[in-house]
Amino acid sequence: MKTAVFWGCRILTSQYAYEMSVREAFPRLNIELVDLRETNCCGDPVKSVNDLAANYLAARVLALANVAGLENLLIPCNRCHFVITEAKNIVEKNGRLGQKIAGLLMEEGLECNPNIKVWHVIDFLHDLVGLDNIKKFLQKPLKGLKLATHVGCQIIRYSDLGRVDYAENPLKLDELVNALGAETVDYAEKLDCCGANLMHSHSDSAFSLAGTKINALQNLGVDGLVVSCPDCGLMFDFKQKEAETRVGAKLNLPVVYYSQLLGLALDVEQEKLGLHLNQSPVDQLLPKVSP
Amino acid sequence: MAKANPESLVKVLARLSSRELVNCFQCIKCTSGCTALKLLELKPHEIMKLVNLGFVDELAASDIIWTCVTCLKCVQRCPQKASPYHVIMALRNLAVEREAKVPEGYLKAVSQILETGLAEGAQKVVTKKMETFDRKSLKLPKVTPPREGFQPLLVKIMEEKSY
Repeated sequence: MKTAVFWGCRILTSQYAYEMSVREAFPRLNIELVDLRETNCCGDPVKSVNDLAANYLAARVLALANVAGLENLLIPCNRCHFVITEAKNIVEKNGRLGQKIAGLLMEEGLECNPNIKVWHVIDFLHDLVGLDNIKKFLQKPLKGLKLATHVGCQIIRYSDLGRVDYAENPLKLDELVNALGAETVDYAEKLDCCGANLMHSHSDSAFSLAGTKINALQNLGVDGLVVSCPDCGLMFDFKQKEAETRVGAKLNLPVVYYSQLLGLALDVEQEKLGLHLNQSPVDQLLPKVSP
Repeated sequence: MAKANPESLVKVLARLSSRELVNCFQCIKCTSGCTALKLLELKPHEIMKLVNLGFVDELAASDIIWTCVTCLKCVQRCPQKASPYHVIMALRNLAVEREAKVPEGYLKAVSQILETGLAEGAQKVVTKKMETFDRKSLKLPKVTPPREGFQPLLVKIMEEKSY
């Protein structure tokens, strides 16, 4: 199977481990990734500044996927996935704003194709590849691990838009982790936000949100937290030490991307999955994976 | 004292396309689940009421509209499809248009997009063992910037007053 990929900004500019692990793990499941070329920001920060420009940027990504000629578009970032899906709806509704955007795209000879399906890593693997199919490829099942999942906000809300999983009780990421042989826990703070979107304006509060959630998870005694969004990865993994000062507790929770976990179960070398780039103490987790 | 301004209200409504602001009946489901309530005292139902009453100018000039985390729980849970998130975004757009105090992070992101196509510049990552990596040393493919026509077109769109 071939799919186009739009990485967005954060993955390409700092969350390299997410990119590396998707690039390593997916081909091992017989999925060929084709990078969209000459792309732009999905428009997320621009939504606060100029709605028309934001939707134009998002629709431009969709139109570039059309140029690539592939019917599936993988978007591993939650925010990009939301912004682009919302723009897709606007363009397809063909109202005043939709027509305006289509006209602007035409100035570069670009056009959206309603047949292109937008996927996130979670539903791509869960719904398109399938849990049973993934299990066939596993080399090193992750037995004995107890993990918590954090799906993030924007791939599960709002449901009217058509999202990756149920808004109030998302289970696909848990099922994907379970398919690798690890156990997952349910917890009260599961739907709490990582706070990344406050980094533009109120970073103290952003760190408080991230730190509070990590602290709750530590008290639960899990081996680690699984994320699948570069913003959540940034807050829980990269910024864990900064969050520590905000919540007044020692934070020491390994945080990994699902694609890194998948890569481990597929027996990919740790370095190729970017595990040396994680800033959280993943070395506490890794010996439990490969004794 | 604050004054209602129906003209500003029209500007907000124009940005909401199909969302029906007037349907809000103050059930407070949005505020009870709001991520930014606890830390930053954002009360989406109050914003809805104020906008409905036409107190748009005060909101567009206020810091409170910049405390939204965009977790989208209010959109999900609103029984009236009134969507405080979309109202807050419309107010932010209005604040930018009026050159009110806008958090620098957003403006930086926009100028970065105009310059490189991406909202962030490439960073070097220092590992826990104090080794430094970038895309090149990680053998990741080079990022291709958008074509030349992209920037002037985006500038044109940003300057347009279509509402």
